[in-house]
Amino acid sequence: MKCNEFKFEYIAAPNEIAGDACEHLQSCTACQAFVEQQATFEKQLAEVIHCDVPEGFRHSVRKYVVNHQSSFWTLPKSSLALVASLLMAVGLVNVYQSTTGEQGLPLDRLVVEHIEHDGIRSMQASHRLSDIQFAKVTQQFGVKVKFANEVSFAEKCPIGNSYGLHMVYRYKGQAITVIYMPELSPKTMLPFNYAGLKGWVKPLRKGSLAVLAGTTAELPKEEFADQAIEWL
Amino acid sequence: MLQEKKKQLEYERLVLVYSDDLFRYALWRCRDKSMAEDLVQETCLRAWKSLDKLRDVSSSKAWLMTILRNEHARLYTRYQPNMVDMELDTVSLRDTDNDTSPEAFALKQALAELSEDYREPLLLQVVGGLSCEEIASVCNISKSATMTRLFRAKQKLRDVLRPEDGQVGA
Repeated sequence: MKCNEFKFEYIAAPNEIAGDACEHLQSCTACQAFVEQQATFEKQLAEVIHCDVPEGFRHSVRKYVVNHQSSFWTLPKSSLALVASLLMAVGLVNVYQSTTGEQGLPLDRLVVEHIEHDGIRSMQASHRLSDIQFAKVTQQFGVKVKFANEVSFAEKCPIGNSYGLHMVYRYKGQAITVIYMPELSPKTMLPFNYAGLKGWVKPLRKGSLAVLAGTTAELPKEEFADQAIEWL
Repeated sequence: MLQEKKKQLEYERLVLVYSDDLFRYALWRCRDKSMAEDLVQETCLRAWKSLDKLRDVSSSKAWLMTILRNEHARLYTRYQPNMVDMELDTVSLRDTDNDTSPEAFALKQALAELSEDYREPLLLQVVGGLSCEEIASVCNISKSATMTRLFRAKQKLRDVLRPEDGQVGA
């Protein structure tokens, strides 16, 4: 491969360089210098193109769809309750009590995967949520959260095959993530430490509580879970 | 009902993971914040309605970008804005508050002036993180045409920052 051919491929698709182009890069110092220059340009370009997303945008998108489609979300609640009762009666509902989720992933993996998608955004919130804002989210789960005075982020999020209450809580001066999952629970306490995150998932009377943060952060002891949630 | 719940969760996952990128892509297409918000909402509504057609979850992002692109084209057939001469910073960059350095401004201006054929693949790559093959499928062009457009788009933008740099033939 010639330098010009390499440069063409690299400029067009810097993240897709493979095969001959990789070999050329390893052996050509001129192209190595070019790659460094081009990386600076790509960074500049990305900074210019990436703009801030309005606060609460994701929530408004969800709400818009809820208000505009006419299936599950808009069925009368009594009908839903009746259907649910019938399904329960004939034993068709298999509520996830085990350690696996929809994708066959262990519960800790589901939690880590969610944080990989949503962690940065959730950690960006720096102000304490007001009691009203926080209550609006927690009441959807029929719970009261005991550490409400230190929560900067709370959102209903899809975790595995159900929803979880995703919160960011300030513990000993550091932001940690706490997720209450009413429909998912491991059989026993589940500690984990991988993908740059450490934490644990503890089964509760109803569902479970996951607590996690970066590997260097200090986490509360598992007793925290027993005092964190009160069912209404 | 379980199917509905599964669909609902899958939809929520898509919104969770991709709505920010969809907004950025929409903003560059519309150059107006509230239009971009509307466009993403319409895109997500359409995605919800046709979620059953999404066979391969790994192609979700390209699928959503395609819907957004089609929705944008559809909206423009209905909506013809009054065209008036306005300064670039009040049109293309309205409601965006990122880098304000002279270099960034020049780059934004050059990006706004790129023809649609060049800007489109570039946005899909930088905002959407799509591969050349995915961009080709969204834009309905060949992979080699995609690479050529990306190359030319970036060369044009780079010339704005460093016009003295030598040209790479393609």
